[in-house]
Amino acid sequence: MHENASRLDARDYASDYLYLALNIGEQMLISGAEVWRVEDSIRRICRAYGAVRVDVFSITSSIVVTIYGPEFSSLTQTRRISGSGTDMHRLDRLNQLSRDICSRVPDPVEAARELEKIQTTKSYPLIVQFFIYAISPAAFTVFFGGTWRDAAVAGVIGMILKVLEQLLNRYEVNAFLSAFLFSLLGGFGAIFAVKHGLADSMDKISIGVIMLRIPGIALTNSIRDFFSGDTMTGLLRFLEAALLSMTIAFGFVAADVIWR
Amino acid sequence: MEGNIIQLAAAFTGSLGFAMLFNIRGRKLLFSAFGGMLAWAVYLLLGCLIVNDVWRFFLTSMFLTLYAEVMARRQKAPDTIYIICSAIPLIPGGSLYNTMHCAVEGEWEQFSETGMHTLMLAAAIALGILCMMTLLHVIYSVYKDVTRWCRWRRADEKSAEDGKEDGAGV
Repeated sequence: MHENASRLDARDYASDYLYLALNIGEQMLISGAEVWRVEDSIRRICRAYGAVRVDVFSITSSIVVTIYGPEFSSLTQTRRISGSGTDMHRLDRLNQLSRDICSRVPDPVEAARELEKIQTTKSYPLIVQFFIYAISPAAFTVFFGGTWRDAAVAGVIGMILKVLEQLLNRYEVNAFLSAFLFSLLGGFGAIFAVKHGLADSMDKISIGVIMLRIPGIALTNSIRDFFSGDTMTGLLRFLEAALLSMTIAFGFVAADVIWR
Repeated sequence: MEGNIIQLAAAFTGSLGFAMLFNIRGRKLLFSAFGGMLAWAVYLLLGCLIVNDVWRFFLTSMFLTLYAEVMARRQKAPDTIYIICSAIPLIPGGSLYNTMHCAVEGEWEQFSETGMHTLMLAAAIALGILCMMTLLHVIYSVYKDVTRWCRWRRADEKSAEDGKEDGAGV
């Protein structure tokens, strides 16, 4: 009888720390961590809490973990991940948290509280983001060989697009439609500027502005995934990147065609 | 020359902007933006030696991974932070855009040509990162093995000396 109770306790405890490990893994994936890092962190955390064997499988949209231990036999939890972004500050802190868990092995409740604190970290204030949306396209327009006038126009377009993006995010518009509208408006802006003699080259402005949304990092990462053996993740990312960049280019060309 | 300096400044500013979009904070922000500029400087310098830009991308991304790994070790942060931001100026966004432009306009021959080139560039970056990481891992493992072996040797010698002294004592 007594043995049975302690077995149940152990099971509860294991399911607690497994849940915590999955929460951390989920947050890492959403913050833009690589799949191998997520799998590695979950494995280490579960081992630190006493699991004998941990099997993790993760792709960008799902995590499956099974842990084994003599006190609770086996436990499995899965998680569907939706949404992704790039938040390196959060990833950094999550990484520190999982290091901390592995070295100190705190109570899961305490670690969960710490995780909650991390989840509430903010990105840069909106004003700064507007500033970034002006500076980055301008810099890349110059980088790709545009003139200073092109850069100024790209900066203004970037700010306008930030307003659009804010609206699209607010109403949770589908990612592809959002990318299309983004590039359509960007294209109109570039054509308008060139037609009215405000700028010299539509291409340079377009490429500068497009850097804000083009999934170049996703493309590079997907190939990195292929080579390191995460073929599933690589395929998913690759397809997504290809479709997104097609949509974006289509938006710019559509602007050109409609204007004519 | 002047054009290059302007380009480097643009690479720094662009990387800085992206680093902020990716919510990097504090000193890491400056280091990752600097990494972007450094990567582009290496790319431009390599231009004196190698004409083929795929090879240049490959070597540059090897370099930037080295930079990122050193920075990550020093700051105890995930290396992704530095890799992603330093790679920003290399990201073939422009040629990806050109590729898709050809597709939408129906110029299929040019599409396949620029498309292949874009893929090669992306693969060169990814392979460069991978090669450098593997190389560093191997070097680190060998280094650890060698230090362990040295320590073991030293301990061995010491115990041998101790043994001799003991022998002399008797």
